[in-house]
Amino acid sequence: MNAKERVMAVINHQKPDRMPCFGANSTVTYEQMEKVGAFWPEGHEKGEVMAKQALAAYTVLGFDAVRIPFCQTFEAVALGCKRKPGKIRDIEGIPGIEHPPPYKIDDTPVFPDDFLSRGFIPELIKAVKFLKKEVGNEVAIIAGIIGPFTIAGSMLDSVPLLKATFKTPEKMRPFLDVGEKAGTALAKALVDAGADIISIEDMTASPELIAPKTYRDYEMEYQRKQCDAISVPTILHICGNVDSIVAWMGQTGAKILSLEPKANAKLAREKCGSDVILMGGVDTANVLFMKDADTVKQGCEESIADGIQILAPGCAVAPGTPTENLLAMVAVAKAH
Amino acid sequence: MKILNDFSNIFKRYDLDLEKTGEAKTVSKDAVLQKIAKFVVEGDEEGIRPAVKAALKDKSPLDVINGALVAGMNEVSRLWDEGVYFLPQVILSSDAMNVGIAECEKKMGKAMDRKGKVVTHTAEGDIHDIGQVIVNALLNANGFEVINLGADVPTDKVVAACKEHRPVMVTGTALMTTTMTAFPKIAHQLRQTGLNIPFICGGGAVCEEYVTQYDLGIWGKEVSQAPGMAEDALAGESWESMRSKWNG
Repeated sequence: MNAKERVMAVINHQKPDRMPCFGANSTVTYEQMEKVGAFWPEGHEKGEVMAKQALAAYTVLGFDAVRIPFCQTFEAVALGCKRKPGKIRDIEGIPGIEHPPPYKIDDTPVFPDDFLSRGFIPELIKAVKFLKKEVGNEVAIIAGIIGPFTIAGSMLDSVPLLKATFKTPEKMRPFLDVGEKAGTALAKALVDAGADIISIEDMTASPELIAPKTYRDYEMEYQRKQCDAISVPTILHICGNVDSIVAWMGQTGAKILSLEPKANAKLAREKCGSDVILMGGVDTANVLFMKDADTVKQGCEESIADGIQILAPGCAVAPGTPTENLLAMVAVAKAH
Repeated sequence: MKILNDFSNIFKRYDLDLEKTGEAKTVSKDAVLQKIAKFVVEGDEEGIRPAVKAALKDKSPLDVINGALVAGMNEVSRLWDEGVYFLPQVILSSDAMNVGIAECEKKMGKAMDRKGKVVTHTAEGDIHDIGQVIVNALLNANGFEVINLGADVPTDKVVAACKEHRPVMVTGTALMTTTMTAFPKIAHQLRQTGLNIPFICGGGAVCEEYVTQYDLGIWGKEVSQAPGMAEDALAGESWESMRSKWNG
């Protein structure tokens, strides 16, 4: 089996030759950039450089999928948020969203007709096309979009959105609606360009930020609509301990749930049944970034024992993560 | 056959069993103060202002602050610790408390006496200031003056604020591993300036091993530790003794 067949076998509930290993979130690091000779900020802004960096997941690490992009700003910028470049002091990092946000909770957000040609979205689409041409038959191509609640958080700023979850929850709906439309439109374009899987990152929908009932009564509906509209398998990634909402995450239609190690994979299996595929592995900050290969291996084994079917970093890989630790994940996957 | 005589669970939704329930306790026997405390617990920014204004007609501002506003916020902290309350409720309650405190300060003609200052910030490059928002709320509720530098703060600005305000403690929050590298730089600059202020570092990406690598650094595991740490710093404990107490 090649990497892509391995990934698709798991998704189709067939037996792979071994456990696949790849990220639902960004996996690029400074060491990988050196090895493939493609760097930031171009990797955030130019399709071809982005694709080159993403390829390192396959060529340098031996992951079974390549994943773009490496930041969470594409939809928000196209919706009117100001992009903050990733450079801090002398180090190129991950772009974010600048204050102040474009909207207040009483405003009516607009979904622009030319959404797909705004900001850096055309470059993201170009990167998928490039990856498809380069490795389309060998490796699974994962394209990331941002979930409705998180996009709403960029449009409004997170504190006003969090306040609205209790004070004026109905006023969130137009923002969740535009957030969903944006992610879905981007996902469809990325699938047309050749993406095999769409990964939905919805950081702000975490129970560490919002009440579980806010997820159940508001966000779940938009995630479900999004998953329904996307023709390829989807990964749903929500950061933190999602135990209190994982049953509902399993009802969104997402094929794969990506869990951080602090979430309980056994509980996820119990609540979501056998159809949902679970991916996860080790903590990206405390283990992958800070510890050694042996600790990584041990963490991976524990996750697999808890029912993880695709080995993955628990969240976005920190760019300073040593290659050795990422290779240790692949070594564990190869033994299963 | 088992005879059903407890009907309380019949309409219970099985999917809600992960949400805890709990109620705020009464914090004051005085009906007026209790009403104000309730506005804090419910995070009602609009309702609290007229209630505080009315109470100040025959109560001292300090009684309203300590007996209702801070007491209400303590209930919020408790409910949050117990997993009954979620972050949005803590933010709303903190805002409501601050509206009430502002009214009391207006009446006093000066700012309320605070125990000491704490400078808080979220690391440069990091816009995830949620952790800091809660730290601010809890410190505020516990009577500290919070010098809130906000999110994405350059290292120099943190050091400058410490020089200006001479806080008992300084905190830094980072959710991303890319941004926490600012912390040792701040610690180093503070040391060079002769400011040996305990520097509490916490947030999603930050771990104990990292923080205890540099002088002044104390790892903040949970935001709920912030008031206790500030009390220690206020009592004059050194960063070394705070580190050995709270870490390791």
